[in-house]
Amino acid sequence: MGDSLTPIRGEITEIVGALSSGRTSHLLACLGDVMGRGETAALVDTEEIFDPRSAAATGIDLRRLLWVRCGSNREVALRAADMLVRCPGFALVALDLGERVPRLPTTMAFRLKFAVRRTDVALLIVGRRRLTGASAALAMETFREGIEWAGPGPAPTRLARVRTTTRVLRARRGVPERQPPSWWSA
Amino acid sequence: MSRFACVMVEYFSAAAVERCDPALRERPLAILKPRVDRPPVEREGAPAVERAGGPSAKIMTTVEANAMAREHGVRPGMTETEARARCPALVTRPWVEEHVAAARHALLEAALAVSPRIEDGGAGLAYIDTVGLERLIGDPATIGRRLVHQVRAIGLIPRIGLAASRTAAQIAAATGSGSVTVIPPGHERAMLAKVSIATLDLAPDLAATLGRWGVRTLGELAALPREGLTARLGPPGLHAHDLALGLDRDPFRPWTPPLFWEEAQGLEWEIDSLGVLAGVLETVLERLCRRLAAASLVADSLEIRLSLASGGHHARAVALAYPMSEVKSMTTLAVLDLEAHPPPAAVTRVTISAHPIRTQAGQGGLWQPPAPAPRDLITVLARLAALVGADKLGSPVLVDSHRSDAFTMLAFSPPSDTATGDRRRDGVSLDSGRRLALRRLRPPRGVQVEIAGERPVRMDTRPVMASAGPWRGSGDWWDLQAWARDEWDVVLADGALCRLFRDRLAGRWYLDGFYD
Repeated sequence: MGDSLTPIRGEITEIVGALSSGRTSHLLACLGDVMGRGETAALVDTEEIFDPRSAAATGIDLRRLLWVRCGSNREVALRAADMLVRCPGFALVALDLGERVPRLPTTMAFRLKFAVRRTDVALLIVGRRRLTGASAALAMETFREGIEWAGPGPAPTRLARVRTTTRVLRARRGVPERQPPSWWSA
Repeated sequence: MSRFACVMVEYFSAAAVERCDPALRERPLAILKPRVDRPPVEREGAPAVERAGGPSAKIMTTVEANAMAREHGVRPGMTETEARARCPALVTRPWVEEHVAAARHALLEAALAVSPRIEDGGAGLAYIDTVGLERLIGDPATIGRRLVHQVRAIGLIPRIGLAASRTAAQIAAATGSGSVTVIPPGHERAMLAKVSIATLDLAPDLAATLGRWGVRTLGELAALPREGLTARLGPPGLHAHDLALGLDRDPFRPWTPPLFWEEAQGLEWEIDSLGVLAGVLETVLERLCRRLAAASLVADSLEIRLSLASGGHHARAVALAYPMSEVKSMTTLAVLDLEAHPPPAAVTRVTISAHPIRTQAGQGGLWQPPAPAPRDLITVLARLAALVGADKLGSPVLVDSHRSDAFTMLAFSPPSDTATGDRRRDGVSLDSGRRLALRRLRPPRGVQVEIAGERPVRMDTRPVMASAGPWRGSGDWWDLQAWARDEWDVVLADGALCRLFRDRLAGRWYLDGFYD
């Protein structure tokens, strides 16, 4: 992910996309960037899908990650994210809503927006569709463009890598709508 | 040469109550205790006489009165009726042993912040060995002012006396005109000579005897011949003579603080609402934290003990993630714990004890990125634990295993150093490029898989468009947790890229997760 698409501190960033489009890989890449700077982050995991082994392979220092598992309760996940963005010191609070994204009242979205602005936390929301509407400073959608397989014989034995691309849906600053593709190795 | 300071808090039982409710300082206050009047012993064989109110009657008696109440003539020993007759605006409170004990400990701990050698002189009285403090703090008057500051910080108003002996220091504290009275070395006898003999609090018969002899001041008592005094009055007379000379008879007994510091609050009415109880908890914790701050200490654990209207007790131990002395954070943690484990009945008394420890403050690095402040972090972690459960919260740690979803959870405690962790420490290789993430299904979902030539071609009703595998793995074969599986990466017709695996021990297929 390019620098122009990294979550902005004090703002809300949204990544949406279909299943297997690369949105979770983008999420882990953002967490890895934060950990690389020695900062701390929190992940509110609605459906408890986070895979620590994938995260460790991405370069995430798991000691700096607060993982909150919400047992598929979206209301609890939103409340947990609301608490975390009010705690100054986290560089990134990621909220993974999964496939079923709830309706969020506009007032709640503005509440989140002002909370992250006050504490200077970057709030990254990942889900099937957008959640916070105009409160998000940056919103993007991910698409899968291709898959490469690997194996010694004619029949592949292992998934090699996946190519995805990103389309910017909303940005407060000048960001090209189409971004160069990214390769994600399995 | 020995030097001592004496910290004295007058009318201590009343001061202990005022410490819990500072507004009472502006009002005449009497502390009452029930006195049980026993009926006269009946003569053998005489018929028992039934009295109204049972065999004994309770009479509320004044055990202490503050300075304002004493101005109106209220004295210890008076009945409540008599005290109210003298002072109609009198405010009364019941005598609570925990209040006095907590205030007594608080006074000693405040003294301990000035000198490591202190002695418990009784309720409202502490002696401090000040030898060597001149180099640390300053002259005796400065030491006295430091003691006043420390004791005022815990909500008590002291009088300080400094002299060569504890007795002289106590008399100086009791009779001095200001809050700090210093008797210069060698001037003890001269300074004490004019003090009334009533200051010594002698036994009534001894005081009466000395009064009949015309001895009114300590100087007059000190001038009496020692041998004659011993012959006529015995050891009490000798003891009184020593006191008049300002001599200490007993050795100095250093006081060591208890393992737990305790504060209590008796309630005038029962509390059955957690919101109201939170206010009481905050008040008690405020007093406790003031004591800790006065001694430059912090607490690393709390114990809350609630006395219930049903007669039982509700005790909770609140673990603090880091040593702290912040009232707000402690209150939040205590309330969250009581929300999760509420008392079964209305509360009549709150007692909180803290385990004090000494910590050294650390300084963050210049290039260290900001991290959540401990007090904010502990609060948000406690709130999250109440919301999702403590077991659903923390940092994952990979387990040294080939099992793909093997991890444990640890309490979240980010390292303070800026260096990122050793990414290879868990046996995970780190490529320079981006890694594809797996969205795991927990537990893996059982699926029906149709096979053609060992390769999956349909998962449930969804056709498989492409597949790669098998990737064979097994482990723990020496244990009851043995596992063996063949993994397949497949693309379904709807575009989902997922990982399937076949459990070779059970012969069943499972959906492990989706690559995303």
